[in-house]
Amino acid sequence: MANKFDINIRAEQEYAVLETEGYLNDALGEQLSQKAQDLIEKGYTQLVINLAKTALINSIGISILIEIIEALDEREGTLNFCGLSATQERTFRMMAIAKYAGIFPDEKTAVADFQ
Amino acid sequence: MPTSSAEETIQRLIFSLSELEQLGQTLISGHSNFNVSSKTYLRITLGTLQVTRGAILCYHPTDNYLTVAASAPELDSTPIEIEPDEVSSILDCSHVEIGSPPEELQDFINRNSDLFNGTAMHRLWVPLKIHDEFLGILGLGEFLGRDKLEEWEQELLTILAHQISIAIAYTRIVEGIQSEKFRLFMLAESAPQICQLLQPEDAAEQVLHQAVALLDANMGCLMLVHPQQQMLELLDAFPKSLISENGDHLQSISLKDINITSPETKDKTALNMLASVVGEGRTNRCSAKMDDVFGGRNLMVGPIQGRDGDILGVLIVGDKEERGGRTLEFTEEDEMLLDSFAKQAGVAIENAHLHQEALEARELQSEMEEARKIQENLIPDTLPEIPGYEVAGYYVPRGPVGGDYFDCIELPNGGWGLSIADVSGKGMQAALLMATLRAGLLSEISSSKARTDTELIDMNEELIEMAMTLNSLLYVSGTEEKYATFFYSHLNPETDLLTSLNGGHNPPLIVRKDGNIQWLGQEIGGLPLGMFPNEMVPAIAEYQAEQTKLESGDVVVYYTDGVTETVNIDDEFYDDERLEQDAIACADNDAPSICNFIQKAVTDFQGDADQFDDLTLLVLRKK
Repeated sequence: MANKFDINIRAEQEYAVLETEGYLNDALGEQLSQKAQDLIEKGYTQLVINLAKTALINSIGISILIEIIEALDEREGTLNFCGLSATQERTFRMMAIAKYAGIFPDEKTAVADFQ
Repeated sequence: MPTSSAEETIQRLIFSLSELEQLGQTLISGHSNFNVSSKTYLRITLGTLQVTRGAILCYHPTDNYLTVAASAPELDSTPIEIEPDEVSSILDCSHVEIGSPPEELQDFINRNSDLFNGTAMHRLWVPLKIHDEFLGILGLGEFLGRDKLEEWEQELLTILAHQISIAIAYTRIVEGIQSEKFRLFMLAESAPQICQLLQPEDAAEQVLHQAVALLDANMGCLMLVHPQQQMLELLDAFPKSLISENGDHLQSISLKDINITSPETKDKTALNMLASVVGEGRTNRCSAKMDDVFGGRNLMVGPIQGRDGDILGVLIVGDKEERGGRTLEFTEEDEMLLDSFAKQAGVAIENAHLHQEALEARELQSEMEEARKIQENLIPDTLPEIPGYEVAGYYVPRGPVGGDYFDCIELPNGGWGLSIADVSGKGMQAALLMATLRAGLLSEISSSKARTDTELIDMNEELIEMAMTLNSLLYVSGTEEKYATFFYSHLNPETDLLTSLNGGHNPPLIVRKDGNIQWLGQEIGGLPLGMFPNEMVPAIAEYQAEQTKLESGDVVVYYTDGVTETVNIDDEFYDDERLEQDAIACADNDAPSICNFIQKAVTDFQGDADQFDDLTLLVLRKK
């Protein structure tokens, strides 16, 4: 895995998808948090975070994801994850992230959940 | 306080208490943390106290600095350095009037005057703390419609600050638990995951990535130990750019003559630390200022041990990060975590290597079986009958496929060609080289020009020409290590003349009817075939031929070194002398019996000793 990291955003009318690429640590996590916050400020309450291109997440990345869930929760919004590896999915369930956010295999099913 | 104002204040208080209760419940239920709710806490505080500006600064004790958690209006988010004695001074106060601060804080305020003057922090600070643990500062700017807070407002401010302190402390506890939960889960999860990886490269990459994520690091390296060269060799790095950033010196790090320091030594360099981990097998760490290898990073190194305790390599992680992007030194807890993980990594890497070795062994075995088939097809099942002569051959493979070969071929000129060879190396390459030699030999002798061997010069020249052709053929077919020792005799059964050429092979033994012995071709030893190019051969040892006449009862024993180099359990060689004695003892028998006698003598001599070379004999006897 290279150290390259990036976030792609696809904002639709009712929802937005944030696709991360690279190691989800503090640097990428803060960017993700900021971009999610910007979308929430714009009124988006339905977000998908696609982690298919993120093989590695550290504890700071996890805590930032929890914060995004909380920020959306304050607006009674919904966060769905997709593209998780089997290990990431188990981690999310163990860290109780799965209790407050949806986990879906791909973007299509994650978005369909909003409808 | 006028009635309307009192009612308004009470309403403000009720609203604030209600919001605080709501926040408190959310906090305790674990559904919120201070990073998200800090703005709400600030808003409640400012609204309750009718203050227009304010900020909450959080203290980070590991590196002694403050960061802005929330502010109205926005403050610069650059971390603010604060000295431990300044922290103590703030802790000693219930609040700090910025206009008349304690002397100990004046320097801190002066250092950050740009940040504090006229901003959300320029009137009053209240320490955020739980008992004596400093958690941050609640700063206030402008008081709406008044110069200072009323006494009851100050008491309320103290309560609000306490609520904020609880929220910060609680969030830190929850974050700590979450982090430890994550790490323990990752540690437990990673073991079976990495141990399932069967490709060494995959195992190495996973080990490295898991270690980096587990330790909240921003870089990592996996290096293998070369004990003899006292060197570490890079196997993988994260991120890959680490290699280009640090140049080629990361590819291999020499530990020769580097002092081994104890893990407790504070001023050890990264090189000292690497040498210590390899030498003593204990996890170790060093600070960024002592890193002389990776460009100034906080480092921690764990030994990767094999099952037998050997240090296979080292796992290096660097630049532990904390929230906000600052890097920290690794802690003792981190050291224990890396130590546990490195133990699993050792098993995973060793497993992958063992699997790879097993696969290679299986492939090699399959190749050996194929090579064996090729070789067996090249050895004649039966030998032709030569008028006036008996001929017998014996070949038994022992151990890995070798490259022994013998043959007896009728020639177009009425003569017979007897050959024996031993190709270097084992396996498929040796078998293919042997096949090449045999094909070349058949091609050469089928085009034999010499009609008779009555003129020695003609036959000599022909054999030498054949040897040069075969030498060239094998030289271009093989690698430097691939060559063949080769002995060839041309027999004219009408004249009983045996013309021989030796290409670096064991000289065959002639046992004369009268019991005398003679080593054939001993004086004409040329180079093995394929060892040097033709143009170099004359300068080293030219091929020559020699001629001998066979009489009735004479026996010629051709053999490969698997015969004379057979060893017994006392590590003694069967050697030339035993061959002489055994050949003399059985020389009166027919050729097949002689062959059987010698092979039995060799096998008996070997006894229970292991043998790794083929045993090949070719016996020619004049009736």
